Amino acid sequence: MTEILPAEGVFSLLWVLIALPAAGALILLLGGRRTNTWGPYLGILTVVGSAVIAVLMLLAMMAEPAEQRTVIQNVYDWVFVGSFQVSFALQLDQLSIVFVLLITLVGALIFIYSLGYMAHDPDRRKFFAYLNLFVAAMLLLVLANNYLLLYVGWEGVGLASYLLIGFWQRKPTAAAAAKKAFVINRVGDVGLSVAIMLIFVTFGSVTFQDVFGQVGEANEGTLTAIGLLLLLAAAGKSAQFPLQAWLLDAMEGPTPVSALIHAATMVTAGVYLIARSNAIYNAATWAATAVVVVGLITIFMGAIIGSAKDDIKKSLAGSTMSQIGYMVFAAGLGPIGYVFAIFHLLTHGVFKAGLFLGAGSVMHGMNDGVNMRRYGALKGVMVITFITFMAGYLAIIGIPPFSGFWSKDEIIHAAFERNSIIGAAAILAAGITGFYMTRMVAMTFFGKKRWEDDVHPHESPKVMTIPLIILAIGSTFMGMALLFWGNIEYWLEPVVGYESVPTPLPTWVYIVVTLVVVIIGAIIGWVTYARKDVPIEAPRGNLLTRAARQDLYGDAINDVLVVEPTYKSAHALTTFDNKAVDGFVTWTASFVGDLSKRLRRSQTGFARSYALSMVGGAIILLVALILVRLS
Amino acid sequence: MTGGEVGTGETIVFWVCGTLAVIGALGMVISRKAVHSALFIALTMINLAILYVANSAPFLGMVQIIVYTGAVMMLFLFVLMVVGVDASDSLIETIKGQRVAALLMGIGFSILLIAGLGNGLMETSSIGLETANSANGGNVEGLAMLIFTDYLIAFQVTAALLITAAMGAMILTHRERWYPRKTQRELSEERFAAGTHPGQLPPPGVYARHNAVDTPALLPDGSTSDLSVPEPLRARDDVREIDTDDIEGIRKLSSGSSTTDEGDR
Amino acid sequence: MNFTPPAIDYFALSPMIVIFAAAIVSVLVEAFAPRTIRRFLQLLIVFGALLTSAVLIVLNAGTRTVTGGGAVVIDGPALVMMGTIVVLSILGAALMAERSIDPVGDSFAARASSLPGSEDERQLTQRGYLQTEIWPLTLFAVLGMLLFVTANNLLLMFVALEIISLPLYLMTGMARRRRLLSQEASLKYFLLGVFASAFYLYGAALVYGYSGSIFFPEIAQSLTSKPSESIVVFIGMGMLIIGPLFKIGAVPFHQWVPDVYQGAPTAVVGFMAATVKVAAFGALLRILYVAFGGVRWDWDPLIWIVAVASMILGSIVALLQTDIKRLLGYSWIAQAGFILVGLAAASPAGLESTMFYVIAYGFATVGTFAVISMVRDANGEATNLAAWAGIGRKSPLVASALSLFLLGLAGIPLTSGFVSKFAVFVAAIEAGATWLVIIGVIASLIAAFFYVRIVVIMFFAEPTEQTASVVVPSAFTTISLSAGVAVTLILGIFPQPVLDMLSNAGLFLR
Repeated sequence: MTEILPAEGVFSLLWVLIALPAAGALILLLGGRRTNTWGPYLGILTVVGSAVIAVLMLLAMMAEPAEQRTVIQNVYDWVFVGSFQVSFALQLDQLSIVFVLLITLVGALIFIYSLGYMAHDPDRRKFFAYLNLFVAAMLLLVLANNYLLLYVGWEGVGLASYLLIGFWQRKPTAAAAAKKAFVINRVGDVGLSVAIMLIFVTFGSVTFQDVFGQVGEANEGTLTAIGLLLLLAAAGKSAQFPLQAWLLDAMEGPTPVSALIHAATMVTAGVYLIARSNAIYNAATWAATAVVVVGLITIFMGAIIGSAKDDIKKSLAGSTMSQIGYMVFAAGLGPIGYVFAIFHLLTHGVFKAGLFLGAGSVMHGMNDGVNMRRYGALKGVMVITFITFMAGYLAIIGIPPFSGFWSKDEIIHAAFERNSIIGAAAILAAGITGFYMTRMVAMTFFGKKRWEDDVHPHESPKVMTIPLIILAIGSTFMGMALLFWGNIEYWLEPVVGYESVPTPLPTWVYIVVTLVVVIIGAIIGWVTYARKDVPIEAPRGNLLTRAARQDLYGDAINDVLVVEPTYKSAHALTTFDNKAVDGFVTWTASFVGDLSKRLRRSQTGFARSYALSMVGGAIILLVALILVRLS
Repeated sequence: MTGGEVGTGETIVFWVCGTLAVIGALGMVISRKAVHSALFIALTMINLAILYVANSAPFLGMVQIIVYTGAVMMLFLFVLMVVGVDASDSLIETIKGQRVAALLMGIGFSILLIAGLGNGLMETSSIGLETANSANGGNVEGLAMLIFTDYLIAFQVTAALLITAAMGAMILTHRERWYPRKTQRELSEERFAAGTHPGQLPPPGVYARHNAVDTPALLPDGSTSDLSVPEPLRARDDVREIDTDDIEGIRKLSSGSSTTDEGDR
Repeated sequence: MNFTPPAIDYFALSPMIVIFAAAIVSVLVEAFAPRTIRRFLQLLIVFGALLTSAVLIVLNAGTRTVTGGGAVVIDGPALVMMGTIVVLSILGAALMAERSIDPVGDSFAARASSLPGSEDERQLTQRGYLQTEIWPLTLFAVLGMLLFVTANNLLLMFVALEIISLPLYLMTGMARRRRLLSQEASLKYFLLGVFASAFYLYGAALVYGYSGSIFFPEIAQSLTSKPSESIVVFIGMGMLIIGPLFKIGAVPFHQWVPDVYQGAPTAVVGFMAATVKVAAFGALLRILYVAFGGVRWDWDPLIWIVAVASMILGSIVALLQTDIKRLLGYSWIAQAGFILVGLAAASPAGLESTMFYVIAYGFATVGTFAVISMVRDANGEATNLAAWAGIGRKSPLVASALSLFLLGLAGIPLTSGFVSKFAVFVAAIEAGATWLVIIGVIASLIAAFFYVRIVVIMFFAEPTEQTASVVVPSAFTTISLSAGVAVTLILGIFPQPVLDMLSNAGLFLR
């Protein structure tokens, strides 16, 4: 049994982890223009500070025996009213420390990289303030020791991502994307907030220890409901089916930096939530199955979308959906999968960061062009970017010894431990990954030059390439380091549990089959996109390609199911504020807008009609009273 | 009369006065002239007062007559007569379906209340004021007792309500003069300084057959004065032409001789 | 006949007596003091009286008594409500006292009696006349609110309701700018308010007919002691609560809200939006918990209907508003629905969470209107949202403050709104109304959108030619604004002291 220790020594600095970036954000936002010059550096300093503390904590934690690695720091009593008691308490254990490290270390690299990328933006200070806000919220999310505090971080992350995606509001697409992300995330938030209330009513507490300790006493129906609500929340934040639509649009963020924030960091929050709530899912098998299904659907959706997009950032976003799908999928497998979900999350965080920053570096050299059909033959021009990108590429498709191989392989293996069909599906998806990533690399770095006339590609400055190199090294060695030296599965076991079930065939068979499928996918990609000439105009493509270019009609389906009946009438009625209402979201917006219009019309402005509706209301209320009385 | 039962006389009074009160209330809402409305409401008030008295609450009945019928409604009528009623108020309902809806709602609400109350009062018997009135030696004494004990605070803070009402009336109507009052001399000087006709304009002409405003006045020389006709008529060229025969006739008339053919028309 | 005057605990009533006395002195000042020093004297009286009253309320902490012949009850919840009302009134009065935002004076017409657009009006404005009668009116309104939350019988509650209403009807019609709109709003408010009062009176009569008393404890007793619960008393109760429901702007008694919000002077809206809501909820809680606490299952569905209708209608209609004051009017309606969710719990947790919500809401509202009064263009206040584009770039501090309030109203964590929403929702779930909470969460999701939309307009939109400017206010508005910011943050991050106070306040004295 895990012991819970008070925060002492280096752990007493737990609150500082969050306070540092939060203070940075505050200073930058309130300081105004005065902080323009030194503000960004301060932002970096706070995150680096948090990273240093996090590393010290990791070392301190490793010195302790496995049962004594959970630390709780009660900052203060937040809400204590009657039976409802919530402390502002932070919890650091093996699970949160890996997230803290991912957030602070990758965060610090993004910060440094942004310094170069955003050098000429007049609002650079604000951008750093939002980044700081994001880091602080994300740290709060993973360090909270109860669901309510987690929710605070959750909302904070949503707010910060909204600010970052919409950072370039002058681009209408960015504004619309920000709204879309906000609204879809709110749908997930509803799931989380209702789940928290349900948890409180069921268990009488919202702290993790109390809840997980009492899981056995709750009935399975309630647990399933909680599990499904948490899944809804995770789907919103982690861009899983059916709430995936926002992630692709979020690539409208000003820079690959913010794209990365969403792709490598923020979207992991959902996986964290599921892994953290493992006790609930273990007891609610139906909910866990739903997690597997959602993960699997998303793996394929993301992969197919990634195969068809010509926009390098969107293609990467599709791949992110797919990879997060792997993690959710793994988490749904139960104790055989949690640790590998987290393992893949860590390796993915690093190699996807490398890929995104690499894409940013390419765009930087290509006058911010994102269309891969206008790239080609960049390997000679951008050598460092090319090499680092290749490291990320090999990692994501899972070629040994690059990091993705180890983590993805473990997930596939875990899938076979559960069921051979879903295992096979996971292998197939890995093949598609091989295809679209090869396509991306081929179109960008190989083949012929298809540059636009006024584009003169060049290697990016050091401030951008150094993070790339660091991340490339991570992409290469991190998998091995975590698995062989870090014993990741045993490190996480006390928190999320770990077990292994024998599979029908020996392990090496799965590895070989997976590798073969991946290589076949890669060869198809190579043959199609590097050996042949890539047309500058996208060919019409087959049905699947066209569907995938439309995000697999995610928006269209939303449209047809929900919007279409009310969409047109709403359009006719909504003569003003088109942007706000339209962009609100493509689905509910028009419906709600229409309703709003109709309701507003009852506001005639005549006192006599107001009085009439008062009488009508009074009649309804009195009748209701009488009916209740008589029933 | 004892509590618990209702005598025949009281029943008759109730049905007569109750009916009249309801008729008065409906008339107040339906009638188009404000004065009629005011009179109808007075009818209602008086009938209510009678009902109060019949229910052994004589003080309330008297107060009802003195305050509502005597003071409030009369004040209302005075105001109506002094200010006058603007007959141009449109009585056409512009909101579609408002009247029908109002009617339906009114009926619905009445049904609800009548049914609810009827149902609820079925098993209730009346208590009457006998006990309450005798407790302190009379109706007025009983009321006084309540006002100065249970409802003392409510009675006192009503003062706040009255002060607010009085002040509100002041705020909305009292015009403060921001300029000094003009003296007679200033007014007179102002009139002459304007350079226009300082005195009264000549009134329209008055002849045997015409005294309408479009009839110009005759000047001593026999011509007519345009000034005597209101400006708008002049602008529209609606000034009546003077028939010379008429003038001749008048001249004859004033000189004593008579033309009888159409003089008494 | 032996007459014994009722015992009156003057100390317990002193917070109200001070206000009442000050109001009368203030009327006398209007009558006798020369115009030049009236404003000064009035401010002295108003703030002096309110501060004194606040101190007396604090000194009364722990008082639990029924006094004045059983008409007034001073108990824990009453003291909390009174304290909140008085403090919010101080902030609201500070907004009304502001004179440096509008170049020609405060936010009230120089003379409410002068015809809009007349020479009279122009001259009076030019001469700097101020309608200082607003001050006695304010004090009377505060007196009414204090009585409203402490009244222990239906008659005193009715008188209190009218004492609140009359000054507010008047003050609504006294805006300096856009006077016709203001006067129209005032008239509507008056007509509909009188209509709602009539419902209340009819209901009171029916309840009296049933129970033979208008005192809350006796009504409660008659409900339990009489074997047959007559339908009359429920019709009476339903009509009775229309009075407070009208005042809190709950659907279907809400239609005056947007019109009045838009028409009334912003300072008055800030004052009344914050305080009246506290007072009306105080009264509603007392009626339902004390007098009708025994028949909770009968009134609960009614509150559910009203709460759901208010949350949904308020949130949805607010989406399309282009005038920020109207938008906040609809948000007021939605917020009323959220608070009713807590009230519907009919438990000690429901009482605490409802009180917490109105406190949090009151401070955020005062602050919000403080900001709105500062954003102006050539025609006075710029309430059209188009004029708010890019305000955040011109005046980041003020826009940040408003954003904080709006995020608070939206219920974003670490603001007072989050804790209060969570508290009422948890109370409702504990009482078994989970479905109500789910509707509430969805409504707050919709509501968050329009709150955040204002934030977006302020910070992300490029300033245009239409963009209004933010006027630097005097200490009056600054104090209200800072108090709003401080309370919104403190109640979000350290709500514990206030929650402790509320749970120590205990339950209503029956």
